[in-house]
Amino acid sequence: MQIDLQERDDVLLRRSAKGDEDAFAELYRRHHAPIYRFALRMTGNRWAAEEIVQEVFMTLVREPRKYDPQRGALAAFLYGVARNRVMKHLERLPRELSLENADGTPRSQAFTTDPVTPAHWAELRERREQVRSAVLELPVEFREAIVLCELEEMSYEEAARTLDCPVGTIRSRLHRGRALLLAKLEMLRQVPKRANAGH
Amino acid sequence: MTCEEFAIAGLELRASADNGPLQQAAREHLRDCPHCAALHENWRALRDHLHALGVESRDAEPASRVEMRLLQEFRTKHRTVRTRRTAAVAVWALAAAAVLLGTVSWINWRRQEATTAARSHGLVKATGTAQSNPNPPSVTGPAAMELGDVVVAANSGDFAILPGSIPPSLGDATVVRVQMQRSALSALGLTVNEEHGADWIQVDLLVGDEGLPQAVRLPQSTD
Repeated sequence: MQIDLQERDDVLLRRSAKGDEDAFAELYRRHHAPIYRFALRMTGNRWAAEEIVQEVFMTLVREPRKYDPQRGALAAFLYGVARNRVMKHLERLPRELSLENADGTPRSQAFTTDPVTPAHWAELRERREQVRSAVLELPVEFREAIVLCELEEMSYEEAARTLDCPVGTIRSRLHRGRALLLAKLEMLRQVPKRANAGH
Repeated sequence: MTCEEFAIAGLELRASADNGPLQQAAREHLRDCPHCAALHENWRALRDHLHALGVESRDAEPASRVEMRLLQEFRTKHRTVRTRRTAAVAVWALAAAAVLLGTVSWINWRRQEATTAARSHGLVKATGTAQSNPNPPSVTGPAAMELGDVVVAANSGDFAILPGSIPPSLGDATVVRVQMQRSALSALGLTVNEEHGADWIQVDLLVGDEGLPQAVRLPQSTD
């Protein structure tokens, strides 16, 4: 099934390179959402994510031959391009926290929309914002692992293919990322000390 | 299982996870270690938040203007390529047409030049009495060379008009076959190779009604 999909992506890309607009539109519809989510979760900025999506697909328009089907699926190639763009964006803006939620609505607006349990919801919402900020503050390599495996819910193998690294690297990055997240959210404070380190 | 091992592998532990040896060891460690149990509990809470964040942005999509901009760019790029290709084809076609036109003009010019040269010497087709000649002429060998640039067709009955003669009216002309020394052709105004000037050759003379030779042909080589 995956091979079929890859072949079809190949065919579409070939047609697109020859000027078939429908083929390009189909490729966009097929791949734009995960690329956008990845960019959004990595940057925390809707505008930046849209810019990144545009640049990724512009690569397909301008240089379709950059993709080599022998080296993997088109989705992995697009993720690779998106990663590079995300890195460039993060280099330009080392830390940019968006004033918007991931869905584009302003944060302040979100607090007024749930009438059921306002206090509990507000607390939950605040905690979630802390988590979001903590994720965005992670070093990029740990953030990638957390975004792909925890938010995008990819398997380790899929994440390894996407990031073009061994599964063991993904595991260790996840481990470090989780530890950093727990530390940032001060979730380690309440943890009682180990009775015995070698326990 | 130690706390370090649990930190690496045990955090993966889920309520519905399988009961492999690693999972069982992690569960046992959780029961015995309050530090790791609290850590695991915090991690579960954090994972819930992460999951919620994931769900929150699961349906996030870029604005439709992104697709429109991309399609616009796609059209512009491919229209430019198509225009360039068309222009290249047109340029090549024009160049080919120019070359063809030049070649045809040159060939025509050459042909016209040859015709003009032939006309200046005159090309007369002898008919009537000339057709009664039993020996059809063939213009080959050194004898043909002596006629210089006078064009004599290989067909029987073709005469080369003599320099200074007016083309005779064919009805009154008579063909006379004579033998003469090659050098005698010079008296008729033709160029003669002097090395073979003493050779005897047979020629057909087209004699006009006033008795003067008007044209000549070489029915056969005498060499």
